[in-house]
This record gives sequence, structure tokens and C-alpha cells, in this order.
Amino acid sequence: MRLTPKHKAFLLIAPAFIYMGFFIAYPLSEAIYLSFFEEGALSLANIRYLVGSPLSKFTEAFRYTLTITAIVIPIETALALLIALFLYNSFKGRDLILYMVIIPLTISDVAAGLIWYSILTSNGFMNNLLISLGLIDQPIQVFGSEFKVRMLLAIVVTEVWRSMAIVFVILFAGLQLLSRDLIEAAEVFGASWMQKLTKIILPMLKPSLQSALIIRTLFAFQIFGVVWILAGRNIPVLAGEAYYELTELRHEGVAALYALIIAAISLSFGFIYIRTLRARHLEVTL
Amino acid sequence: MAGRLNRAITTTQAAVVIIIIILAIVAVAITTRGPGEETTTPEETPSPAVQTPEKTTPKTTPTTSPEETTPVKKEVTLIFASTQMVPVEEQAFVKNKLLPPFTQETGIKVEFIGISYEDLSTRLESEMKAGKVTIDVIGDLHGGLDYFASNGWLMDLSKFGSLPDRTFPKILEDYSNLYGIKAYVPWMTATYVFVVNKEAFNYLPEGLTMDDVISGSSKWTYQALLDWAKNLYEQTGKKALGFPAGPKGLFHRFLHGYLYPSFTGAQVKNFDSQAAIDMWNYLKELWNYVNPASTTYDAMADPLLRGDVLIAWDHTARIKDAITTKPEDFVVVPTPAGPKGRGYILVIAGLAIPKNAPHPEEAWKLIEYLTRPETQVMVLQNVGFFPSVNEASGKVATGPLKVMVDGVSKQLNTPDSLVALIPSLGAKGGEFSSIYRTAFEKIVLEGQNPAEVLPVLAADLNRIFEEVNAPLPPPDK
Repeated sequence: MRLTPKHKAFLLIAPAFIYMGFFIAYPLSEAIYLSFFEEGALSLANIRYLVGSPLSKFTEAFRYTLTITAIVIPIETALALLIALFLYNSFKGRDLILYMVIIPLTISDVAAGLIWYSILTSNGFMNNLLISLGLIDQPIQVFGSEFKVRMLLAIVVTEVWRSMAIVFVILFAGLQLLSRDLIEAAEVFGASWMQKLTKIILPMLKPSLQSALIIRTLFAFQIFGVVWILAGRNIPVLAGEAYYELTELRHEGVAALYALIIAAISLSFGFIYIRTLRARHLEVTL
Repeated sequence: MAGRLNRAITTTQAAVVIIIIILAIVAVAITTRGPGEETTTPEETPSPAVQTPEKTTPKTTPTTSPEETTPVKKEVTLIFASTQMVPVEEQAFVKNKLLPPFTQETGIKVEFIGISYEDLSTRLESEMKAGKVTIDVIGDLHGGLDYFASNGWLMDLSKFGSLPDRTFPKILEDYSNLYGIKAYVPWMTATYVFVVNKEAFNYLPEGLTMDDVISGSSKWTYQALLDWAKNLYEQTGKKALGFPAGPKGLFHRFLHGYLYPSFTGAQVKNFDSQAAIDMWNYLKELWNYVNPASTTYDAMADPLLRGDVLIAWDHTARIKDAITTKPEDFVVVPTPAGPKGRGYILVIAGLAIPKNAPHPEEAWKLIEYLTRPETQVMVLQNVGFFPSVNEASGKVATGPLKVMVDGVSKQLNTPDSLVALIPSLGAKGGEFSSIYRTAFEKIVLEGQNPAEVLPVLAADLNRIFEEVNAPLPPPDK
């Protein structure tokens, strides 16, 4: 049997196509069908429900998801960068700190939520500590519908603690790849620490920053376990509402619509990151 | 570049790629076919088991009393399809503890199938249409059995006569007679109760005694509950009343099955009436003395044990842990009364035999066994469902379970009791609950005007009942 080059080329890309067709195109088409069709006919009922029904918490969920993302990502990126830069230099005990920073990476989001819940709840470690130190008489309530800001704060703390590790790992790996020659050359020319950071390290770290931001933003829009454990539906988020609509209310179409909205937001943010964080210096040299 | 690539790929390599693709396609084909096969097996397996006896069971056998048919010549396997005791540990109890004594005693084997209401309903409908019934005994909630009886799918059980050595509370007898037939035998009950930490009795408001609360006297009203919670707060600084209003909590049952009937006389019908507006304003006031963490509580056992709250309302199964851990600290009391009576939810599970079931005589024997007082106590001890026969409570030993049984039976016997049943809405049940919870969030937590919130939600509520074509649940009808 003789295969023409054209056939061979098709054969070679076929596995990738089958994979993408089965795992991406098929579920996506199903989600679109569930969202916009009812009994075979085009229908906007799910969209009307999403924005109009008193049972739907879409606007709130949208607002909270964006708020959490907008607070968590800058904080954790800045923190991860600081720690990565700090650990860039070798010193005694560096490995120990490295491990401690990475530990949360091994914990699931639900477990992280439960850990922080037991720390912050009215009979939790934090309140017991503060009471035994004599700083407060009555426990500080963090959870409950009256305390939305406190719950939001608890979510931010948990999310930063849990997911900063992944940003850190990516940035730290990126730092290891930086050419020390450039930094040394800069030192020879008398560059200050700030100049080294802004002119050399950060620009060269752009590809790593880009990967870290894309991964984290995509995950941030899917935030669910931590919020569900700490705040339930008091702080609604998009993925949580998708889960609630599907399991409690049996609104498959509405749940699929939520999934599509999360996908659309993630895709647009991914696109923006790729556009704005392109590492131009590297492209020129390659 | 392309030329080099071509040279690099030999025919052997291409063959390897083809094999991988074929394997991938086969794997995909197997995985996509898998679930389909799974769903059909449970439907199909029971039929061969019952087909043979079905032919031999003489349909013409006169309806002799069950005692006479005791010697079972042919080995019979009953299909017992139940929407109750479906969780794994409960099924293990049914299969390992509950049913073996019955098989030993009668020689009748029972295959227990834990099934969802939707699946049971679909299966029964298709069996009725096909004229070939495989299910012998149905265990389901009142709402589901009501629907089956309305379609004429259930056998009239009055032909079997009454069951010996047991009496059913009148309310259960009344509900089990549907559409002119004895549709089911009450099997188990469950309800939601108030649990009080005895410490709270030190802060009773003026005019209310501990005895009023425990016996459910006419002084034990929602106004008295408010005064009590207020008193507790003023004297201890603690918001000591708690409700399971967390995401997995059952607070919506309190709203539609306790407050609504007590204040408006109905669960659904008077959803946006003036009485309902008064009720919501009452709840707004009460909420000032409710532990703010209530919106995170899923079950009240832990908050009660931790001492976060001293008075709590929840499903009996969800407060059982608190009472079994510290039986001497807690007391189960009837629900307070409102202007229209003492509304409370009674969950009734019943046992029924489908029309044209393959083994009605044997099925009746199973029903007889499951409603014996000692069997019912075994269910209470293991699963926490309450008995449906009066004689069972005498067989419960003192201790934590007795605390609960006493409280529940006092609630059942209060003269002004107004029983609410959970409507049978199938997949729409979640939406029904969500409407009451949304009303609560908007009115009590967000402080919106009930007169504006309720009419909008009432439209949704009516739509659900229209879509499902379900009757309004008692006490509405």
C-alpha cells in the first residue's frame, strides 16, 4: 500500500482532530443546543430566565465573580512575584520556604475552603485565639448573610492562599530560565535594583507572567468549591449558580448557558492577555 | 521542509498511526455505548425472575386471607421498588437487616430496588401501558402514591382486610384512602420539630411555662416564640434561635409547611395575601433574634451541640445526633401555633401494590411484616424514620429515641394541628422550594417590601403547579 504525502499529512493530524472533536466540539455543540433550543426550536427562554426571573441570581453572580477575580489575581500575582524574586537568591532555609509556599497546591479547593471555614467560624481557631489573648469578648462572626463583606474577604484570603502557589511555580520556573549574563552585564554598567527589575527581569518574565495570568484567570472564572463552602449562595458566583440551577432547580438549559458565559469570558480574557503581554524582545531575537 | 517530512514518514509509521486511530475509535465507541447498556439492565433483569411465576400464579385464586396461603410451593421473588431508603447505608440496612427475617419466616425472597420518583413513575407508567407489571410492592411518599392512584395504577387494598395487632393514627388512615380505594398502607413518617436546650427554659417570657411548650398548649404560639427569643437575647446577649437556612438546609420547609399554614391557613393558595404579608413582617422581626450564622447552617445538630443556639427547628433526622449525644440536655417540642392553627409538615411514606402485580398475596405479607410495631421500631433505630402505627411507640426503650418519639407524637396529637404535605412536583420540587427561599432572602435578608416581592413570585409558583398539573397540597385543597 502506498500512501501519498497528502494522505500521510491527514493521517498525522487525524488523532488531534478526533480528540478535539470529541472533547471540545461535541460538548460545546451540546451546550449551545441546551442553552438556545427548547424541544427542537430556537428559544430565548433561558436568557429571559437568566436576566428576568426573581429566582435567578445572574447579575449578582456576574458581579461577584468579576469582583473576586479582580481582587484575587493582582494580589496573588504580586505576592507570587515578590516571593519568587526573594527565593531567586540562594540562602539558608530557602528550600524549606519553597516547600511551604507550594503546599497549598496539593490541596483541593473544597478542602481549602473547609480549612479556612474551621479557622474563621465563630468557634474556630481565630476566634478562640483572639478570645484567649483577651483581645475580644464575643467571637467575630464571619459567615452569614449579614456579613457579605467579611465573607468576601474570607473567600479572597482562601483563594489567594490556595492559588498563589501555582502562579509562584510558573514565575519561579520562569526566573530560573533568565540569562544571568544579562543581569550581570547590567550590574557591570551600574544598574540599580529597580532598573534591573523593570528593564530586564520583568520584560523577560513576560511569557511566564502571561501563562500564569491566563491559567489563573481561566480558573478564577470557574471559582466554585471555596465559595460554596464558605458562603453558599450568599455570595453567588457563575459556576456555583450553574451547579445550583442544574442540581436543585433542574434547569439544564440555564446551567449550560452559565457554562457558555464562563467559557466566553475566559476566552476573551485569554485573547486580551495574549495580545497585550506578547514578549516583543524575544520575538525579535528568535 | 515538506519533502524532508515525507521522507521521514515510512509506511510502517503510517500503519502505526492508523492502528492508534482505530483503537481510539473503538475506545470511543465502547465508552459511548456503555451508559446506555447500564440504564437498560436494571429495567430488564427483574423481568426474567418474575416471568416464570407470573404464568404459574393462578390469577383466579380466590382472595383468601393471607394466613391461608403460607406454604409457598414455588420460590417467589418479590420486586419491592422504593423511593425511600435509597442512600447506600440505608439500602444496606434494608438488604442486610430488614428483609432477611421476612425471607426466613415466609420463604419469600425480596429484591429491593432503590429508585428515584421520576424513574419509578416512568417505569410504572410503561408497565401499565404494556400490560405487564413486574413491581410487586411500591414504597413511596404520599404525593407520589396520590398520583399513581389518580391514574388507577394501584390495587384497592381493602380486599385484604385489616392488619392484626396494630392501629394507624386517624390522620394517616384518612390520607391513605384516595379516589375511593384504600390506596396504600402507611409505612413510615417523618417530620420537622423544634428542639430546645433545657437551659433556654430559664429565660421563658412572662406567661409562658415550660409545660405549655412541651405539651403544645394554646399559649405556645409564634408570638410566644418571638418573646422568648427576645428575652433570651436581652438577658444573655445571645441570638439563641437557629434555623437551617444554609445552602443545603431545609429552611424552605419551615416557610411553606409551618409558617404559611399557621398564618394563612394554606401553603400555596394565600401566598401573597394580607395574612402572608403579616407573616413575613413577623419573620422580619423574629430574625432580629435569630443567630446570624443561620444562613450557613445546613443541619442543626452541630449548632445545638456547640451551644451556638438553644432553640432550633429542623428535620428529625438532622437533629437526631444532638439528642443521641446529649439526651438529657435537649427536649423535642411541638411547633408553635399561629393565627390559623398549628401548621406542620408530615412526611408520609406508604406501601402500595400496583394493579395486576404478579404476586399480590405475597406482597401483602411483606406489607404486613413491614408495618409490625417491632419492625417499625427497628426502622426508627436504624434509619430514623418514625413509625406509622400507634403500638410502636410503646416498644421504644427510654433514651434519646424516646425523647424524639414523645415530641413527635405530641405534635401529632395537638388539637389545633394543621397538617401540611409536601407537594409532589417531581423535577419542579427544587423550583418550588427556591421560590420560598427567594422570598425569604428578598424580604427578610434584603429588607424588600413583601407586598412588592410576593405577587411576582406568586405568578411563578402558580406556573409550576400548572406545568406539572399537580393538585395543591393539603391543607390548601
